[in-house]
Amino acid sequence: MTGNEKPRIGVFICHCGTNIAGSLDVNDVMEYAKTLPGVIVADQYQYMCSTPGQSKIADAIDEHDLNGIVVAACSPRLHEPTFRTATKVGGLNPFRFEMANIREQNSWVHMHDREGATEKAKDAVRIAVAKASLLEDLIPKSVDVEHAALVVGGGIGGMQAALDLANSGIKTYLVEKDTSIGGRMSQLDKTFPTLDCSQCILTPKMVDVGRNENIELMTWSEVESVDGFIGNFDIKIRKKARGVMTPDEAEAKGIVGGGCNGCGDCANVCPVVKGNEFEMGMAPRKAIYINHPQVIPQIYTIDFNSCVKCGLCVEACGDKKAIDLEMEDQFVDIKVGTVVIATGYELFPVEVKSEWGYKRFDNVITGLEFERLICASGPTGGKLIRPSDGVIPQKVGFVLCAGSRDNTGEGKPYCSRFCCMYSLKHAHQIIEKIPGAKVYLFYMDIRSFGKMYEEFYYRIQSEGAKFIRGRVANILEDPLTKNLTVFTEDTLLQRPVNVECDMVVLAAAIQPPAQTEVVRRQFGVSLSQDGWLLEAHPKLNPCGTTTAGVFLAGVCQGPKDIPDTVAQAEGAASAAAIPIHMGKVELEPYFAQCIEELCAGCGMCVNLCPYSALALVEKDGRQVMQVTEAKCKGCGTCGGFCPGGAIKMQHFTSQQIVAQIDAFLLGGRGGAQ
Amino acid sequence: MSSNGKHEYAFFLGCIAPNRYPGCEASAIETSRKVGIELLPLKGASCCPAPGAFGSIDLNVWYAMAARNVILAEEMGKDIALICNGCYKSIYEVNHILKHNDELRDGVNEVLAEIDMEFKGSIDVWHLAELYYDEKICGVKKIADSVTRPLTGVKVAVHYGCHLMKPMKERHFGDSENPMWIEELVDAIGAESVQYRNKMQCCGAGGGVRGFDLSHALDITNEKMINLQEVGADALTEVCPFCQLQYDRGQVEIKEKFGVEYGLPVLHYNEMLGLAQGMSPQELALDLHAVDCTPFLEKIL
Amino acid sequence: MAKEKNYGNPELENKLRDRYFYNEDSKADFLKEVKRISRTIPEMCFQCGTCTGSCPSAPRSSYRIRLFMRRAVLGLEDEALTDPDLWLCTTCYSCTDRCPRDIAPTDVIMAMRNLAAKRDIIPRNFLQTVNLIYTTGHGVPNNDVNRAARVKLGLDADPPTTHSYPEYIDGIQKIIDHYDLKETADRVLEGVK
Repeated sequence: MTGNEKPRIGVFICHCGTNIAGSLDVNDVMEYAKTLPGVIVADQYQYMCSTPGQSKIADAIDEHDLNGIVVAACSPRLHEPTFRTATKVGGLNPFRFEMANIREQNSWVHMHDREGATEKAKDAVRIAVAKASLLEDLIPKSVDVEHAALVVGGGIGGMQAALDLANSGIKTYLVEKDTSIGGRMSQLDKTFPTLDCSQCILTPKMVDVGRNENIELMTWSEVESVDGFIGNFDIKIRKKARGVMTPDEAEAKGIVGGGCNGCGDCANVCPVVKGNEFEMGMAPRKAIYINHPQVIPQIYTIDFNSCVKCGLCVEACGDKKAIDLEMEDQFVDIKVGTVVIATGYELFPVEVKSEWGYKRFDNVITGLEFERLICASGPTGGKLIRPSDGVIPQKVGFVLCAGSRDNTGEGKPYCSRFCCMYSLKHAHQIIEKIPGAKVYLFYMDIRSFGKMYEEFYYRIQSEGAKFIRGRVANILEDPLTKNLTVFTEDTLLQRPVNVECDMVVLAAAIQPPAQTEVVRRQFGVSLSQDGWLLEAHPKLNPCGTTTAGVFLAGVCQGPKDIPDTVAQAEGAASAAAIPIHMGKVELEPYFAQCIEELCAGCGMCVNLCPYSALALVEKDGRQVMQVTEAKCKGCGTCGGFCPGGAIKMQHFTSQQIVAQIDAFLLGGRGGAQ
Repeated sequence: MSSNGKHEYAFFLGCIAPNRYPGCEASAIETSRKVGIELLPLKGASCCPAPGAFGSIDLNVWYAMAARNVILAEEMGKDIALICNGCYKSIYEVNHILKHNDELRDGVNEVLAEIDMEFKGSIDVWHLAELYYDEKICGVKKIADSVTRPLTGVKVAVHYGCHLMKPMKERHFGDSENPMWIEELVDAIGAESVQYRNKMQCCGAGGGVRGFDLSHALDITNEKMINLQEVGADALTEVCPFCQLQYDRGQVEIKEKFGVEYGLPVLHYNEMLGLAQGMSPQELALDLHAVDCTPFLEKIL
Repeated sequence: MAKEKNYGNPELENKLRDRYFYNEDSKADFLKEVKRISRTIPEMCFQCGTCTGSCPSAPRSSYRIRLFMRRAVLGLEDEALTDPDLWLCTTCYSCTDRCPRDIAPTDVIMAMRNLAAKRDIIPRNFLQTVNLIYTTGHGVPNNDVNRAARVKLGLDADPPTTHSYPEYIDGIQKIIDHYDLKETADRVLEGVK
């Protein structure tokens, strides 16, 4: 309390149904609270978070002229905002509220010690009351929100999020590390269950992104560093040296009518040949290249790791003068209000599961490699052929759960979600393209969970694919024919299986790409136990993160198919747009304050601040510290350090903390002091 | 390491090597000496005990009897070296389990107290083949350098057996799906190692199956024989006398029961190494083999 | 419990015997004991079939390791322990190496064999090995042909094991007797003559 205000505290103990009341004596705790110094009234209720529960707070403030509220209930992460609002409705500053967690940190973990749990709850209430007695009015700070957003990742998830943000009037930066947007969908041939051509449904969106006035597209670019906080992110983007200029870039250099027009004359003369990553290494590309004819932007890129700087491309480009072999990485600083991360996935290195022979046997391939082979714009023009001899396979086996649902520590314990469906799709494509081919799917389960997915499973079964319920134990190769023998058990027939295939497709597990680790650390996003990015709440907040202003879209948050990716992207965009459209965002007023009379101007705190929120300024002829409140996160590093005690941590003052400690240690077990 | 720079080990013999194929024992001692490994007699050792037979009836007895053998080496202050996959499973695995499982170790020591013995967990257990492969002890090059009569002109297939490398999570040999390290040891003595279909499959003898249902065990062996015949191997080498017994006597039994004859000589790697280092077939007691080794010997001598 | 059919005709009663799985057929202690002895997690088996797919015995018999795992999980003690296929596992450990749930099915078989042994269900050859070790210390003891061969090789006629130091056999017998294994071997071999 400020000044000479005497504490008048109201304490409310929640039953939370039987969650709390089932494990400790709520009534006992309530009676105990009444004996504590400063407590004017104590009450209990079944569900404090309900409307009548909250009304109790407002009513009590009014009736008893309270100036502080304590609620002993669940974790503040759930209902601190609820009760702060109730306190405010009752007429007090919302920060005159303190919560004691007697559920997650008490009743839920001491379910077999009623007496101990009750005593512990009393301690928690005593501590909370001690703090509540010293709380003050605090005014949250509002900061302006930059009217711009950043989307990291240009696959279908990132593209959709960018389109939604841009179409709602927000300037959106879309940063993609590869040379073109499109992501995994560009690599797919057809999409289940409709069997739409993937590129056909994707390219309209790609064109939209390229043409949208509100989207600034930066491909071949990565996030270099992140500073700031929600509403005010200062982000440095590294635009990697492409070696090729866009028409705008050329014009800026005074080359009229120049810049890359995607003609490809350069690639024709380039002497360097490399494996094409877009084609999963199954086709060549030059050192100067595009992924495929429909890339956005339609600009070539030089892979400077393999370019020999022979200059033949420069010659071929001629008057367009689009190539600059000496180009260097550029840095661009942008300011955005919110960020959406959509960094997608890569395949798990399934060769570590050596029993299936990937990378040892030529004709064992992954699902993505199959997509490129079966795709009309792929390395074989859509003809499915065996890597060993180019012959069209007649007996193809699909290994489901290759590396997923694996608890050995070698694979991934989770289910990769869409492999059942794409294996069904692949089976269909073979049956369609290779009449008479035998197709075997070796599975543990068929997870056809989505809309029209079960019907798709029905269809593939009716088309004649054979389903053998058994996880593949191992695969052997015939050294002469390069055919494969698949060993498993048909668990339904209860017979061991020894099936010869001329090609095997592994539905390999998926995992976050290596770069995700870098990006997530830049934005302060945590990982879930399974290695994907952690959402704010798996049920109620799957698009948000615990970092304000940072949202997730697509597979980066967990394996999902295209419909779910698009849906989540739209959700993330909507959530990311709210602070921007509101224009302002409220920051919790936990920032440090310099007590200038006590400040010696030593400046030692300035370098300690992890958020660079402190600085020394001149005031009335002397140096004192000043806090940039918007940057301060209230971490307490400076406050804990200051040798002169000149820094006050609002809402966590030294007096409050000492009072809590004293209340705990000196307050004893129950009873008045 | 002893003072003369040699690596010394207590040599655990098992049963089948000393009592049916003594050439394996003699060659192990000789060939190891030539590459700086000294195998010392382990007094009072018994059956490891056969993991298939004893483990099936009562694992507690298996733990205790294997521990007794380990303790004999602990008392010598030497690590154990052995030449049999089955013995490896008993001696290595029980040594490892008892070192890390207090409850089991206490239970075993309670029984061993009756005979004034105590498992301390002070030594390690090695298969001689891994010692040969380990560069810190010997290494493939040293093996090659010790060869005076390279086995040129013969195709030798390798049978890894089961208990040496599996289960992977309780061993330290790396991948058990397609290892090549014993082939390296075969190439080092001048022979040409050959691959064959399903080379990692079991010989069929283990788990007591050879004694319980011989024809079942032989059918498994026969599958391997068919695959070996397919690649024209001149001999099969292994690092387990029990597998050796199954392949050697087994071919005679297969002829009796199934009417098929292969005549494929089966030699333990130590016997092969002995030949490569100049030991004679007599010094290796190859005449005790059920399958005549002459066709193979004619090609290399 | 399987319902009895009293038709007065043993052949019919057998042909038509109740095959249902009832609640009571599940013996909870069976899974517990199997877990304790095998030191693995059989309850986690999701019947993927990788084990049977890896098994060298499966293609040439009715032995199915996956079914034994199922019996452990469902507590079908009698079915498991009286099935002669229990003894066809060669303990090659291929199933254990590949099991995606990180279970050791081989060790489950060994645990079941231990439990069967407690019911005196043990094939003769195992007990013969016990006897040989009890008397000589070796499962495969030396013989005179081999002794002569050893001497020709420059080795001692008997290896430096219990063969040369029979005083150690006493200790081995004490271990075996502590677990009544010799008694069991004699009893079972006698009864199964």
